[in-house]
Amino acid sequence: MDLLEDYIKSGRIKLNKHKYHETVTVHDPCNYVRKSQMAFGDHTGEKTRWITKQCFDESLYREMCDDPMNNFCCGAGGGAWAMPYDEERLAYGKVKVDQIRDSGAEIVVAPCHNCRDQIMKGLAGEFKKGREGFDMGNYTETLYLWELVANCLEYEPWSEEEQAAARAARDAQFERDGIELEEE
Amino acid sequence: MEAAIEVNRKNRKIPVIPEMADRCYTCGTCGGGCPATGLVPGWDARKAIRAIVFGMEQEVVDSKWPWVCTLCGRCQYQCPMGIQLMRTFRACRTARERDLVPGPIHKGTMMNLERGNNLGIPKDDFLFLLADLGVEMENDEEQPTPGFYVPVDKEGANIITTINSKEPFGEPDDMKFWWRIFYAAKEDWTVSSVNLEGVNWGLFSGDDPRMKEQVGRVIENARRLKCKTILYPE
Repeated sequence: MDLLEDYIKSGRIKLNKHKYHETVTVHDPCNYVRKSQMAFGDHTGEKTRWITKQCFDESLYREMCDDPMNNFCCGAGGGAWAMPYDEERLAYGKVKVDQIRDSGAEIVVAPCHNCRDQIMKGLAGEFKKGREGFDMGNYTETLYLWELVANCLEYEPWSEEEQAAARAARDAQFERDGIELEEE
Repeated sequence: MEAAIEVNRKNRKIPVIPEMADRCYTCGTCGGGCPATGLVPGWDARKAIRAIVFGMEQEVVDSKWPWVCTLCGRCQYQCPMGIQLMRTFRACRTARERDLVPGPIHKGTMMNLERGNNLGIPKDDFLFLLADLGVEMENDEEQPTPGFYVPVDKEGANIITTINSKEPFGEPDDMKFWWRIFYAAKEDWTVSSVNLEGVNWGLFSGDDPRMKEQVGRVIENARRLKCKTILYPE
């Protein structure tokens, strides 16, 4: 997240703020707010929101919590996504379902693999089946934070020289690793 | 009068020290704000802490509670007595016998130590996948990236990224998001061909020695390839 912020602030990447026209909210992974704060004395709540707002018009942003430090877990933290307690995991996630519905947002940005899977496949999966207790309101999709940034990138293809240098380095690497690509 | 409960402070699996339970005054802030309250009959955060103080730690260790709790840390962050509930519940996971750890997280940890990633992806498959995806990305219709490839084991790169093995295993296209950003930023980056895993299941299973081994491997890759910065791309 520091890296994304640095790329944007230094101008190394440029983003199109008007690619998306949906309303958007941000979910805070426990690891990046409370646990980061307790372990390192700093957290990413503001950074995540700032990066998101570089990809959306400010007026489309919707908040889901009073304070990122008190935001709720998605329900799949601590390895729960991989554990066999699916019903408990989904029931836990109802708190997140309510937050998303009450925010009114269509897109949820999740800066964590695990939270994204729980919100997109777990909670929204139940919502799309119409299961009681899983009304996510306006919700349409979940994006990784870096997926959002990648989708909004505005960039020029590399110059001929840069491409040639990269191809030479690639060919040397493939030869070292014994990789033969099928003819392009 | 005979004491109702004899609290033996020696030889305990979960140490009863002030910050790990002893000074709890049972206010219930922890359980009151916890989405897991009510999900495991008989248990919530406050009860589990009280049980541990009273020497009933084995009951907590044997229950589902420490595993349905997602170690989100809200209770610990809010506790007015500064009790480290998250740390205590993780210690309960540590105290579980390894072959009784639920789900695949212990098996994945062992797989990782043996084969360098939680899902056991062979090195050759991984390298061919990266090569193929690189070509796909170069020729992408919407966002072509001419000149792109995935630099593997590149010495002296600015950034070395770990891999979440679920992506090469099941969602390979999702790796391209970061790769496009690297392309646009003209980043000097690389991936290690061995011990590529970034997901540390030992952290979740409460397995400290294997968790440390996994962290050490990530650092070892950066040292071997003389990379300045380690990126966990999430």
